[in-house]
Amino acid sequence: VVRGKPASRHGGSGQKLESESLVDEASDIENLLGKEEDHKEENSSVETSGALKWKEDLSRKAAEAFLRQQQAAPNLRKLVYGTVTEDNEDDDGDTVEELGGLFRVSQPDHGCKHKADSLDCSRFLVEAPHDWDLEEVMNSIRDCFVTGKWEDEK
Amino acid sequence: MATQAHSLSYAGCNFLRQRLVLSTLSGRPVKIRRIRARDDNPGLRDFEASFIRLLDKLTNGSRIEINQTGTTLYYQPGLLYGGSVEHDCSVLRGIGYYLEALLCLAPFMKHPLKIVLRGVTNDQVDPSVDVLKATALPLLKQFGIDGESFELKILRRGMPPGGGGEVLFSCPVRKVLKPVQLTDPGKIKRIRGMAYSVRVSPQMANRIVDSARSILNKFIPDIYIYTDHMKGVNSGKSPGFGLSLVAETTNGTFLSAELASNPQGQGAAVLPEDLGRNCAKLLLEEIYRGGCVDSTNQSLVLLLMTLGQQDVSKVLLGPLSPYTIEFLRHLKSFFQVMFKIETKPCGEELKGGDKVLMTCVGIGFSNLSKTLK
Repeated sequence: VVRGKPASRHGGSGQKLESESLVDEASDIENLLGKEEDHKEENSSVETSGALKWKEDLSRKAAEAFLRQQQAAPNLRKLVYGTVTEDNEDDDGDTVEELGGLFRVSQPDHGCKHKADSLDCSRFLVEAPHDWDLEEVMNSIRDCFVTGKWEDEK
Repeated sequence: MATQAHSLSYAGCNFLRQRLVLSTLSGRPVKIRRIRARDDNPGLRDFEASFIRLLDKLTNGSRIEINQTGTTLYYQPGLLYGGSVEHDCSVLRGIGYYLEALLCLAPFMKHPLKIVLRGVTNDQVDPSVDVLKATALPLLKQFGIDGESFELKILRRGMPPGGGGEVLFSCPVRKVLKPVQLTDPGKIKRIRGMAYSVRVSPQMANRIVDSARSILNKFIPDIYIYTDHMKGVNSGKSPGFGLSLVAETTNGTFLSAELASNPQGQGAAVLPEDLGRNCAKLLLEEIYRGGCVDSTNQSLVLLLMTLGQQDVSKVLLGPLSPYTIEFLRHLKSFFQVMFKIETKPCGEELKGGDKVLMTCVGIGFSNLSKTLK
């Protein structure tokens, strides 16, 4: 349950990375559960329903782990409105260093300059194309067509 | 609209069009500095100068100041006037570069716009006239911009580097825009396309059609790709060929993809079979991204939603393009409108990637210069 549920919500890029962190979290939870089990054994099984109880705990912990990951996923609103590219006027002063008191070496910030003066084009190019010859990739858009599966109410 | 609002300041030549368009609509002057300031060839390029000249033709009372090196531009917008206009676009960019801005401005003119644009109709950089005709026009209709005089016609086709194409665009004016609720794209019922060839063998277009069909037929049987071979003076000055594909859904959403051959004398020759196959795959990518508006028209729909009546508008989009993200920031600074952005994970359904639901309340923009009849 722990591995399956969050993984199904994330598709495409970065899946590998996320699944790795998931494995980490899952093992964390297992460790926690292991400790709990030890604890219960020490308490010499006062509660007979102990086994069931820690299973409830498991789903709660899974939910918490899932929420934690949701928050870590990039917030689009923050991406759009939070980080406004700053238009700093005197960036030349920071990047200039003097050579022999006469010449100046200017080191422009390439990333920023490149963006400000790059091509003005509305087309959204595909950076990592899918391999559309694979059956599973083709199946990922199967229901976008009228030939695909329809919802019940239609 | 020419009020003494204080100007907004930007740096660099990127996003020049959206800055000038939003400035014209909002009436706020803009100052753009350091345009290619560190380039070997600094300042505005020919195609940007041509764009500024076009804005000057469409407006009345604009003030445009450019410094000697062309690295600083000050633009104080006048009133959108419209009427019958002709414009020779630079062949460095496609007509789509100019047309995208016109689509934003045309509904708000004093007189209905009727413009003839000359230049490159299809290239590898900008959205072609074919794609804008098939996707942007139905989108504008959703906002209540419609009528007999609403058309985009390709009179002559021109490929880079020579150009020689000619396009007629006419658009009625509206006082207010309708709010929209585009949340369900529906399912794709048919795919249409246009394979064009100029100054090469007409057989090229047929070869493109066959290879594109071979991929798309695996998904849907209803595919029709028109072939368009223009001859003589209608074929422009340079040889070339290409394909544009549009998928239409049951709810009136249009998703598009296109490819064009390399311009004469640049790069290796492209086989029409490869071009057809690659373009079909690009359309599948666009379908994977999905949404109610295709990736090229994201910023157009967001602008029209912002300028709508004071009511809630919603649109479901695919992943936001970098151009759209910058456009959203500009909408905030020019119109003080912020969108509610919700991610809609795709879940278990076989409907492509994650979607984004954009919601905003229109600012109730009304076209005060429209004459009453």
